[in-house]
Amino acid sequence: MSSATPDRSALGPRRAIYLIARREFVTRIRGKVFTIGTIVAVALLALYAVLQLAVIDRINTTTTFKVGFSGPATALAQPLEAASSSLGFKVHVSDIATDAQGRSDVRAGSLDALVEGTPGAPQAVVKTGIDPTLQAALVALAKQEVLSNDLSAAGLSPAAVESQINAVSVRIDTLQPATAAQLQGPIIGFVMAFALYLFIGIYGSVIGQGVVAEKASRVVEILLSTVRPGQLLLGKVIGIGLVGLIQLGIIALCGLLLTVPTGVLALPGAAIGAVLIGVMWFVLGFILYALMLAATASLVSRVEEVSSATVPVTMLLVVTWLLAYVVAIPAIDAVTGGGAAPHGLATLTTVLSLIPPFTPVLMSIRMAAGEVPLWEGLLAVALVLASIVGVTWLGARIYANSILRFGARIRIRDALRRSP
Amino acid sequence: MAGRVLEIDRVSKRYGSVVALQELSFEVRAGELFGFVGPNGAGKTTTMRIVLGVLAADAGAVRWGGEPITFATRRRIGYMPEERGLYPSMGVTEQLVYLAELHGMRAPDARAASARWLERLGLADRGGEQLQKLSQGNQQRVQLAAALLFSPDVLILDEPFSGLDPVAVDVMSAVLREQADAGISVLFSSHQLELVEQLCDRVGIIRAGRMVAAGSVEELRSGSAPRYWVDAPGAAAGWAEEVLGATVVRVDGSRTLVELPTSTGDQALLQAALATGPVREFRRDTPSLSELFRSVITEEPAA
Repeated sequence: MSSATPDRSALGPRRAIYLIARREFVTRIRGKVFTIGTIVAVALLALYAVLQLAVIDRINTTTTFKVGFSGPATALAQPLEAASSSLGFKVHVSDIATDAQGRSDVRAGSLDALVEGTPGAPQAVVKTGIDPTLQAALVALAKQEVLSNDLSAAGLSPAAVESQINAVSVRIDTLQPATAAQLQGPIIGFVMAFALYLFIGIYGSVIGQGVVAEKASRVVEILLSTVRPGQLLLGKVIGIGLVGLIQLGIIALCGLLLTVPTGVLALPGAAIGAVLIGVMWFVLGFILYALMLAATASLVSRVEEVSSATVPVTMLLVVTWLLAYVVAIPAIDAVTGGGAAPHGLATLTTVLSLIPPFTPVLMSIRMAAGEVPLWEGLLAVALVLASIVGVTWLGARIYANSILRFGARIRIRDALRRSP
Repeated sequence: MAGRVLEIDRVSKRYGSVVALQELSFEVRAGELFGFVGPNGAGKTTTMRIVLGVLAADAGAVRWGGEPITFATRRRIGYMPEERGLYPSMGVTEQLVYLAELHGMRAPDARAASARWLERLGLADRGGEQLQKLSQGNQQRVQLAAALLFSPDVLILDEPFSGLDPVAVDVMSAVLREQADAGISVLFSSHQLELVEQLCDRVGIIRAGRMVAAGSVEELRSGSAPRYWVDAPGAAAGWAEEVLGATVVRVDGSRTLVELPTSTGDQALLQAALATGPVREFRRDTPSLSELFRSVITEEPAA
């Protein structure tokens, strides 16, 4: 048989992991979680962007007042038109022959207001009420009229005084200029943290389901006669993680493409930075949680039991999100809002964000807000990496010891013991 | 490699307080079809899993060509587990190629081998379908293809015939025979004893984790006392007991099944029969494997 024997070195550990990861990747990227999930997420993003645009549009649309002038008050028509643009509204002025005509126009609704009387003491006739902006404009114009008259009477040139007044301004000294990241960081951080929580949860459960599906269908018996449990576990985590990463990337990219031109996010730079930080934390967080989920899932033999077996790990993830929502985001908001964080909240956030299972989500919030010193960021990464090493060792042991024990749920303590 | 032997040498395994295997020893030679029979729970699957390295033995060794079996040599074993194990929603060809690659084959060779085996097993046009769309019997053929695809040196099949229709049984038998003739060591378990008797070069009977008999069916037969069917219509009841050491096993009308100790010649029995009148039949009874199996399994008390 030696002639037919293929090269035995052909399947090194790296190729084994590659083959397993490739199968997971190809299978999952054609699966529902990826295709439907991506389409729905991008559609939601597009909808959100469209809604934002509509809201901004409405704010930018200026109202036009139709104002009629009669008698001496007609002198105010020109100044009102001139002032309208700087006051943020448009005005359509018209000369009205008689007060009576004007009043009937107002009553009919073809005029918003009729201005009569003198420029110094105008009188506005409206149907039900006057727009405060229009009222303020009229008051200002009347005051200026009175002032100009008094200035002329005192022998001063109203034009000269006006230009002098217009030259006055206040110089503003900002002691702590808000950085762009501080302004938009909390929003980006919040979105990023939520995406991490969601993606780690979704793709973690894909891993758990996959582990038990292999166990339930007994494929694992064939697989483990040619690859080692650790290689199988690692290949799964890499393959499924890549699919999650690609989905996260597509959604983030679509988000950037949709939000930046519409002006929802004014700072593509900060957003891109946050996305890169988010990608790093996704990779680390996913590996950490995926290993824990795979190990706990391997304790059971039926797919229906996966969610109950993985409860300890999924609870940890939910707690992380609660901490983010209750502690980290308020603390960041307070700091970037210019105030001090409520007592102890900032310290609590810092401490919690250095505890490995919480780190990926909490650190992505803090880093997006730009308030993490470099050493703290590096320490967080180092701690997560160290815990990944630990979880790999423990998880692979639990996985290897449980994956071929079929039937009733295995206790963790038994799974950690050397296989009998 | 011709002449390589798969040796299971005093392998023991216990699950908690339950002894699954107790110093189990046997060997499967190259080019040999070895049938592994025994009651449920006797340890057949456990033995196979240990050979595959899927389970660790508590004691004993598994050797291949005289060398302890290693992770690399295990890749040369084709395995068909009892509870069939493939991905239900994966395409047939796709997963065959995947499994072959995991056994060290390159993708183009794996694809060619997959096409060849699907053709051979009558599934040439099903390669693109999901496994779960196939019938039970066809899924089993795919499972067999998965075990054979990478041209293994050893084939281990746990209950390959269970659930197959007669045509599929013929296909499976032909393939196993062909593999053995090509020099591969083939070990399979089955409860279909007629099939095992017909197909196998040697048989091992396992009970409660011990090998109680191993050898060719002929050798197993030679271990038991010879029996003879005698049809002597004129004989009175109890005629055979006159012969030294003979025991009557069964009486069926005028026919009597008599067991003789090997020390007593069959001619003594024939003469005794002729003394009663005409003898219409005198025939050595060759017990079937199932009869041998039953006698071996029930004879010795459980250890």
